[in-house]
Amino acid sequence: MTPTATTRIQAAEFRAAGTDLSERRRSGVSTGPLIDISATPDTIGMHWEADGRLRIGAFTTIAAIAADARLAAAYPGLAASALGLATPQIRHLATLGGNLAQRSRCWYYRNPHIGCLRKGGSDCPAREGNHLYHVAFDLGPCVAPHPSTMAAALLAYDARIATDRRSGLTIGDLLGDGANGAADNALEPGEMITSVELAAPLGGERALYRRAISRTHAEWPLVEVCARAVVRDGAFQFVRLAAGGIAPVPLRLVAAENTLQGKTASAVAIAVAAQQATAGAKPLPMTGYKLDLLRGVVQDLLERLAA
Amino acid sequence: MSTMTINGRLAPLPDDPDALLIDLVRDALDLTGTKLVCGAGVCGACTVLVDGAPVVSCLMPARAAADRTVTTVEGVGAARLHPVQKAFMAHDALQCGFCTPGFIVEAAAFHDGWRAANGTALPSREQIGEALSGHLCRCGAYDGIFRAVADACAGRFDGGEVAPPRMEARDKVTGAAKYTVDIRHEGQLEGVILRSRLAHARIGEFDFAAARAIPGVGAVISLIGDDRIVRFVGDPIAAVAAKDRRTALAAIAAIKFSSERLSSAVGMDQARKPGAPVVFEKSARKKAGNVSEGNAAPATWNGNIRGPSAAFSRKPRKVRSWVDSAREEKNPLLVEGAFRTGTQLHACLEPHAAVARFDGDRLTVHASTQSVFHLMELIAKRYKLGHDKVRVIADHVGGGFGSKASLGMETIAAIELARAARAPVRVAFDRHEELSVTGYRPAAEVKIALLPSAQGELKALSLVAHADTGAAINSTIAALARLIYPADAKELADFDVISNLAPGSPFRGPGGPPMAFALEQAIDEAALRMNVDPIALRKRWDPDPNRQRLYDWALGLDVWRNRRLAAAQSGRYRRGVGVATGYWLYLWQPGVKVEVAVKGGRLIASTATQDIGTGTRSVIANTVAREFGLEPHEVEVRLGDSGLPEGPGSGGSRVTASVVPPILLAVQKLKAAIEQNAKRKPVPGSNAPWRELLAAAPDLSASAVRPEDSRQMAPGIRSPLKEAGFIGMIFGWMMRRFSNLAIGAGVPSSVQVVEVEVDTWLGHVRVVHVHTGIAVGQIAAPALARSQATGAVIQGIGYALHEAREIDSRTGDVLSGGMEDYRIPGIADTPVIEVHFDEGGFDHVLGGSVGIGEVATVPTSPAIANAICNAAGARLTELPIRPDLLLAALKGRAAA
Repeated sequence: MTPTATTRIQAAEFRAAGTDLSERRRSGVSTGPLIDISATPDTIGMHWEADGRLRIGAFTTIAAIAADARLAAAYPGLAASALGLATPQIRHLATLGGNLAQRSRCWYYRNPHIGCLRKGGSDCPAREGNHLYHVAFDLGPCVAPHPSTMAAALLAYDARIATDRRSGLTIGDLLGDGANGAADNALEPGEMITSVELAAPLGGERALYRRAISRTHAEWPLVEVCARAVVRDGAFQFVRLAAGGIAPVPLRLVAAENTLQGKTASAVAIAVAAQQATAGAKPLPMTGYKLDLLRGVVQDLLERLAA
Repeated sequence: MSTMTINGRLAPLPDDPDALLIDLVRDALDLTGTKLVCGAGVCGACTVLVDGAPVVSCLMPARAAADRTVTTVEGVGAARLHPVQKAFMAHDALQCGFCTPGFIVEAAAFHDGWRAANGTALPSREQIGEALSGHLCRCGAYDGIFRAVADACAGRFDGGEVAPPRMEARDKVTGAAKYTVDIRHEGQLEGVILRSRLAHARIGEFDFAAARAIPGVGAVISLIGDDRIVRFVGDPIAAVAAKDRRTALAAIAAIKFSSERLSSAVGMDQARKPGAPVVFEKSARKKAGNVSEGNAAPATWNGNIRGPSAAFSRKPRKVRSWVDSAREEKNPLLVEGAFRTGTQLHACLEPHAAVARFDGDRLTVHASTQSVFHLMELIAKRYKLGHDKVRVIADHVGGGFGSKASLGMETIAAIELARAARAPVRVAFDRHEELSVTGYRPAAEVKIALLPSAQGELKALSLVAHADTGAAINSTIAALARLIYPADAKELADFDVISNLAPGSPFRGPGGPPMAFALEQAIDEAALRMNVDPIALRKRWDPDPNRQRLYDWALGLDVWRNRRLAAAQSGRYRRGVGVATGYWLYLWQPGVKVEVAVKGGRLIASTATQDIGTGTRSVIANTVAREFGLEPHEVEVRLGDSGLPEGPGSGGSRVTASVVPPILLAVQKLKAAIEQNAKRKPVPGSNAPWRELLAAAPDLSASAVRPEDSRQMAPGIRSPLKEAGFIGMIFGWMMRRFSNLAIGAGVPSSVQVVEVEVDTWLGHVRVVHVHTGIAVGQIAAPALARSQATGAVIQGIGYALHEAREIDSRTGDVLSGGMEDYRIPGIADTPVIEVHFDEGGFDHVLGGSVGIGEVATVPTSPAIANAICNAAGARLTELPIRPDLLLAALKGRAAA
């Protein structure tokens, strides 16, 4: 489709690898100035601290995160998330910072001819329109799910994000709570993500990642969950569940976590927890199926973590 | 200035921050093996190596390549072919070839890494599927790709050369094959079309002044019809040719015009409402498109509803009264249901594209077309040019599937812009255009009633189909149920529901898959209720001799004999086996002519057909070579040029049956001429007498026109139209008279047995195993026929499980305009596929071969649905069977 000149002057955008931005440039959704950014030694690669913490430079590629053996041993949910997203040829280019700061994949937002909240418009066309792949937790004016798989994984790991202006940001601080329909994140204009820090893993923890999609690979998740657990003496000592694809921001499934905390890792307890995964959900007319998928993914992951 | 090293050479990088690596590679460096398809990093056709790692060049900024080493497909096999290239050639792991360079680059990188780490160990299907998950192939060549990558990794292609079964395979695996989008003439301009953003509007006067004033703009033209009405979002309004795409887009934006919004009806539900805005007033009905392969028969219009087209009914009132009685009597054998199918897009990887050039009064058009000869005729007619003044060329075509069979807007715009600009013009649709305005298989709503008699025969069948044809007509879904499963009475009615959506178009077996989705599930349901084996029931109800043999084959399959009943299964994962039948008409094109010549001792076969990935070059080469006792590569095939003798269009599975008989006649004549001119007889006892004769022969040629078929047919083989009685004869006459298509005797048939695994938690269906039995007579090119058969199954899987055009029903915008939202199957979605060819049934056709393309895809979706029903006990009545619909159906079953 032929893009039309936009009268709105767009703000400049940072470009790291450009895997998100190039598509929006080609379609005409992004028309503002570009600022190419590149790595410094401090903002790329794995930086392990003596106490077991890991700081990952924002310019580290998703492929590098997926391929790092030490990272995979310490944070298997993060490695699996990296390996599960996009395609090999994207993962070789795309950076961690870019993955967190990418824009919505909503098919209204990506159409240069259709106005929406994310493009400075006054309403969300998906809400009353075709929202087959949109949120099942309707937490804000924009109903597109946040696209960052890494954000959901980092939420499960309580990661802290540093920018060139701030540090110690949680995923919630970085992406907001979904109430702002105009933005995909809560970065200030001109603020750039520089690194992500993960605490040392808990003793005996395991972690898994799974996305529900209609094909086998290479599809934006209908629902995705990164799950961590410490199962000791047959009981859940620690459970952490973070889900993507279902809400304007990645969500912790706190009700499900609480159900299991300290409980025997039995099939019944897991089934109950899976039912709790959808606590607080507000599906749209077309997205009720995502709740079934969420329960299914959570049950799948918990059963495997308990096994 | 910064530089990169590409295929061993230094190349400067552009200053433009928006230049992407693919622009540089294709446009500045003319390395056109790298293809632009999705422009979004989804399909992998643009994959190149950067410092050895495969990346998508369609998203990578050119500047980011500074000081890095880039390898394109041209660099992969530059010195000598990479083992992966040889393996792709040997296993025929390609069809149209447009995705092939991307696959080669990625597979070569995977191969090299694998060999370094694992020696010659064999990678698993899962490992190959994951490694190639960033690539899409619309032809569905995945079956061959699995085998090629595995064998290359195992070291089986480290040595010497290979003789590929596909004639042009080498050009396709090296990136040398030139497609229409790759054509670049001196001074060529880029054309872009201004399209309607409203679903229904009247366009006022244009002001082109500002657009024409932009430097670099060569022409601005109107494309609006005489009534100045646009009828769908994306309907063409005007077009611009400029020195590059960006300039053309700027000029498009500068075109001024007013438009008056008209009320619109988007999609079937709105268009059928009483009082809905009418899309085509009576005077405008000729503007409607056509979704079938033949011309439309007359039918009544009522607002936006055209129909019923019910000529193929037989005693329809009887059907209604029997079905009503059976319902009242609560006859448990009466099967009734409503089925819905999705809108399937062709999603050709090479977009619709044309490059037009005038040399004086001669027009040359390179076009991505399924019909070089017919397109030449259409262009000549439209622009009042002599046939000798128009030449259409298509060396390679990146997929068609029915969507590139007519004179499309890409060609019209290119010609008119080239004329106005006095310069060659290329028009190549972008991905959103390709996925929104180039046609589709219309969604349909099919109501079915099937009534067996008390004796277990098929008594009555009713199919009433409403097709969501957009701005087009002539859906033939129900009508196709006439030519299978004879019954005492049939009620078959087709309706087109016209609306303010882009027109549908023919798509691989038009009407066949939606008909089969309803009918084959109803047959399955009847078998369940009658407690009869579903294949045995088909064998009883379907007397066609070709399918009788296929049923016997299917009954003997282990997977069928060992299948379990749905009731026997519980738990998260369920396995099931299903069967379905499909058929297609045997079509051939009268007037097709083939010339076979010997020139300088070499055989050359020529006809103005084209190879859109179906393997036509190889069918022709194999046929000629076989007659002379030579290897196919010793025959040169000339096609893809309308200047050659009249050849068939690649539609209606007609090509093989249209070209093989005249080849055989021409070969006979040529042989006689060679013998007559031979100065010396071959050495007695020679193993290759013709090689000797050809080497010594003077330049000679012979040609022949497609003959009528023999009237001597095998028992039970009849013209399907004769079975349909008088109306069938009329239909056959009309097809021949108005569409230049003859409907031959005998019915190309397919029976598929499918095994699935259903994940009842995540709503995911994995097709595990497919057995596809196909009866299309003698197989002219076995490896390529296998590729067609497996590709058809894979496209059928897409139709069954994944593919649906999604729209906004308020505005008529197509939302699934990118490859991430229009989901075609990937390699990891490919089951193990066993192909069984039954080679009988067409001895009355000279050469014994008919086409395979369409019949092979018809039964896949109902076979999958029947397998799901066998696995999980739920009848899936709606396509595509996505997780949301499958979970809903499973819940419905739980609730029931």
